[in-house]
Amino acid sequence: MDPLLIAGILTVALFVLLAAGLWVSLTLMLLGLLTMIMLDNSAYGLIFATTTWGASSSWALTALPLFIWMGEILFRTRLSKDLFEGLTPWLGKFPGQLLHVNILSCGIFAAVSGSSAATAATIGRMTLPELKQRGYDTRMAIGTLAGSGTLGLLIPPSIILIVYGVAAEVSVARLFMAGAVPGLLLVCLFMGYTALWAKLNPQYAPQNTQHYSWADKFKAIRSLLPVLGLIVFVLGSIYTGLTTPSEAAAFGVAGALFISSVTGALSKKSFNESLMGAVKTSCMIALILAGAAFLTISMGFLGLPRMLAEMITDLQLSPYMLLVYLTVLFVILGCFLDGISVVVLTTSIVLPMVQQAGIDLLWFGIYIVLVVEMSQITPPVGFNLFVIQALTGKNILYIARAALPFFMLIMLAVVLITLFPSIVTALPELMVN
Amino acid sequence: MRRFLDGLYTLSGALAGIFIVAITLVILAQILSRWVGFIIPSTDDFSGFFLAASSFLGLAYTLKKGGHIRVNLAIQRLSSGQRHYQELLVLAVGSGLAGLMSWHLGYMVYESWVFEDVSVGYLPVPLWIPQSSMFIGMLIFNIALVDELLRVLGGEKPCYQNHEDELNLEEV
Repeated sequence: MDPLLIAGILTVALFVLLAAGLWVSLTLMLLGLLTMIMLDNSAYGLIFATTTWGASSSWALTALPLFIWMGEILFRTRLSKDLFEGLTPWLGKFPGQLLHVNILSCGIFAAVSGSSAATAATIGRMTLPELKQRGYDTRMAIGTLAGSGTLGLLIPPSIILIVYGVAAEVSVARLFMAGAVPGLLLVCLFMGYTALWAKLNPQYAPQNTQHYSWADKFKAIRSLLPVLGLIVFVLGSIYTGLTTPSEAAAFGVAGALFISSVTGALSKKSFNESLMGAVKTSCMIALILAGAAFLTISMGFLGLPRMLAEMITDLQLSPYMLLVYLTVLFVILGCFLDGISVVVLTTSIVLPMVQQAGIDLLWFGIYIVLVVEMSQITPPVGFNLFVIQALTGKNILYIARAALPFFMLIMLAVVLITLFPSIVTALPELMVN
Repeated sequence: MRRFLDGLYTLSGALAGIFIVAITLVILAQILSRWVGFIIPSTDDFSGFFLAASSFLGLAYTLKKGGHIRVNLAIQRLSSGQRHYQELLVLAVGSGLAGLMSWHLGYMVYESWVFEDVSVGYLPVPLWIPQSSMFIGMLIFNIALVDELLRVLGGEKPCYQNHEDELNLEEV
């Protein structure tokens, strides 16, 4: 059969299977299988088995269940409450005050738990009533929550960066380094916008008259120190090259268990729940990765990625134009698919094209995660918007409007890293030297 | 039979959890031994084997708990009658696919055993041993899919459907 015809059939099959509610992992496998059958490749069974074995027993991937487990353990401690109480005194003088607590709590909680929906739900459940009670504008409270809930995708240790690193064969340690500065940039953009907004709309952002002494501040932050220490230790040991991401993750699990036992959150029940929670998430991702590995091999047999890459050369498409097209594609995909599925689908098909256009795969990893973050709050269908809708009971259009400024800010960050790629690449280069 | 199957899913899920603990312990042991100037051979191989075992043995448990993600946008708009047939369809496709995959994974294990394939690391491990965890996990996943298919054929809702709504808030 003609490769173009097969590609057409596969595209239709992809959307039909996904819409019909077949699981993402099985959809990827079935697409790979269909490709092999249409190509008359009779060795597909052997290829499937060996590819799956190779993809599932990869040593680099062991960081995945461990970081997920670490997040599950810390998720079951007092962390969200500690974040709120510990950060409030520090931001007393800053315009917008408690709104920044929303942003920073989400940033730190997301970095640890690695899950944007869980972050928005957990932090929001605590901060939204508090903000409302003190007379803050509800729309801004919801907007900061929606925007900063997505931070967890980028700020290391990020699950989605591990998935990209394994699928695209880019060093996970370098991806973690590359994600740090853009993550901080996003936090600064969010906080800068919020401070500016609070200056311009003082009636919606009540001034807190309570004065906090330095003693209060240090007392408040004390309960956060263990978790902050753990994050610094885990990331620091990766950044300095002292450990691999998998080793740092194992330390992270040990540290999280220690913190949770010291704070009294660790029981047999919470241990088992965290472990089985980790099983559920990591099995789901592992099967998707196995399916994606098989699909990637099938696509190689079909030659589709190579054809797309040649098309770039023929059309003389500039990298910037390619990125514009890809951004639109990812935002559309991200409206109904989760970030991990978007990333693995992309790596199966798009990467040779990206390489052909002269785009650095390390940079591309950060770019794609930023775009996926953006798609989580795309008005009016982003995934995080639905989570916040469930949490607040507000109309989805109201929430979409509240999140819109933050959608634009993430877009601004995408533009910034495109114009100044060194925002992404400087830290990894510095660390490697 | 019901109790046996539910026990099977729980047991394999628990084994998946134990393998995650095992990965943690192997990696920690590797670091500690490196600090004291002693090398435990093939830890990279073993943590990879444990990962494959954990990932596949947990598949059935994850299915029952609604952990495998899919696109809900279209199907949640279906009427309950249409939804019944939609679930039958995906479960039939899923069972068939998992059956095919189990067969080929099983055949790979058989070949590794016949040809006495070993891992390339310092300690040569016969590959059929770690590979069989993947085959067994896929087989149990297959059984769970057929189990759900029969449940829906009997007019009940599939187990995972009850968990998918709560999943939207807690996971991903």
